[in-house]
This record gives sequence, structure tokens and C-alpha cells, in this order.
Amino acid sequence: MLALIYFIILAVVAVGAALCVFLSKHPLYGGLSLVLTMLSLAGIYGLLGSPFIGVVQIMVYAGAIMMLLVFVISVLNAAKDNKTPMFDGVSIFVILGVLALAGLVGFALVLSPMGFDVTTLRGSVEMTSSNLFNTAQNGPGYFVLFEVLGLLLLSSMGAAVLMAKKRLGTDEACVEEKEEK
Amino acid sequence: MELQPIYIQILALVLFTIGLITALARRNVFFVLMGVELALNAVNLSFVGFAKTLPADLSVAGQIVPLFSIAVAAAEACVGLALVILIFRNRESVDSDNYSNMKG
Repeated sequence: MLALIYFIILAVVAVGAALCVFLSKHPLYGGLSLVLTMLSLAGIYGLLGSPFIGVVQIMVYAGAIMMLLVFVISVLNAAKDNKTPMFDGVSIFVILGVLALAGLVGFALVLSPMGFDVTTLRGSVEMTSSNLFNTAQNGPGYFVLFEVLGLLLLSSMGAAVLMAKKRLGTDEACVEEKEEK
Repeated sequence: MELQPIYIQILALVLFTIGLITALARRNVFFVLMGVELALNAVNLSFVGFAKTLPADLSVAGQIVPLFSIAVAAAEACVGLALVILIFRNRESVDSDNYSNMKG
């Protein structure tokens, strides 16, 4: 019963903050609302018995990714751009279509029987680390994915640095740059 | 009344719907990126919720895959924001409709 009350509070906060992301005019307000959504989702992970994912969610999502997003919004100063309308004419059809799809999926979800299993493993640090770095021959092999993920993050960091550093490829930009010098 | 797995899936569905609508209907490119992040979050929640309905050893995968998903989302946000910076310098606009002519 207590778990249900906590879940309802966190779910209401998450959905309300997600609606704030959808309806806010300025991207900074949207980003801060998204941080609130992620924090309440981390609380739900803890409630479900996966505290490690909750902590990773707070550290990586709410900490790193949203910091990057808010930083870029501040750097580009998108507040200047008040001319961009929030929606255009096609948006209403998009919204109705996605809502219809969600209704269908929700109908299918409600019909399916589900129940919590009592023997399910708690997602603690021990369970996660012993499965993630299980290098046995007949193990799950998640450690290979982990190595690939390191390469992916390295290459994406290199790509981001190269792209953000590059002056624009057009000739005008190069001319302007030389004139500035 | 106890907490049921279906409540978690319904919450994940609602969040995914809001994220998809934000990504498709908003015109500001930052909201498009935020909508994608919201949808990814909802999918992670769905993973963990389904993992809790499985017996002992089967419930491991659903609690490890979200870690990979979070790391891929970090890479995606990194490259996506670099692209936005690059296009913003070129177009001086955050309206995604202005990005339709991206040749050269």
C-alpha cells in the first residue's frame, strides 16, 4: 500500500513535468522540467528494486546529459529566437495520430496478465557487477558489449569535437573568418 | 490495492507518448532532442518494469540493458548537440523547418 502511494506521487510528478516539457515556451524551462522527470523516474527505479539503475539515471541522465543540453541552450542563447512558433498546422494531426496509437497499445497492455515475481533479483551493485563483468566462457557476455560501448563513446566524443570545432564548410564563412583575422 | 506491473507499463506508455508528441510536433530543435530523451527514458522504465515480472535469473537482462541504453543516449546527445551547434552557426535559427535545405 505504501509502495502504491509513493508510486502515485512519483508518477504524477513525472507526468506533470513531462507535460511541462511539451507545453513550455522556452527550452531552458523544458530542460529543467525534464530533469525533474528523470529524478522522479530514478525514484521509481529505487521503488521497484533496481537502485543501481536509479543512481546511474541520476548521475548520467539528470547530471551529465541534461547539463550538456542546458549548457548548449545557454550558449546558443535560443531565447533571442521568439519568432519560432511552438506548433504548426500539421501538429494537430501528429498529436491525434500518436494518441490513437497509444490508445491501441494501452488497450493491448491492459488485456495482458502480469504479476510481480517474488523470486526476482534485486538490481543491486553486486548483482549488476557480477553479471556485467562475468567473463566466463558460457556466461552472458555483457562485458563485450561494455567494451564496444567504450569505443562508441570515444568515437562519438571525437566526432562531436571535430564537428563543433570545424568552421562552416562554405566559402563565405572562410572569407569572413579571414576578414575577422 | 498493491502496486501492479501494469501501472508501471501505463506510466511508461504515457511518458513515451508525451515524448513522441514532443519530438514530432514541436518545432524548436531543442524540444525535439528533449522529446527523444523522454521517450528513451520511458523505454528504460518499461524494461525494468517487465524485468520485475520474471523469475530469478531471467530478471537480470532487463536490469542490465537499460545501462547500455543510457550510455547510448549519452553518445546520441553528444553528437546531436554538436550537430545543432554546427547548424545553428550556419542558419542562425532553432526552427527545425529551416533545416530542411541541408545540401552543401
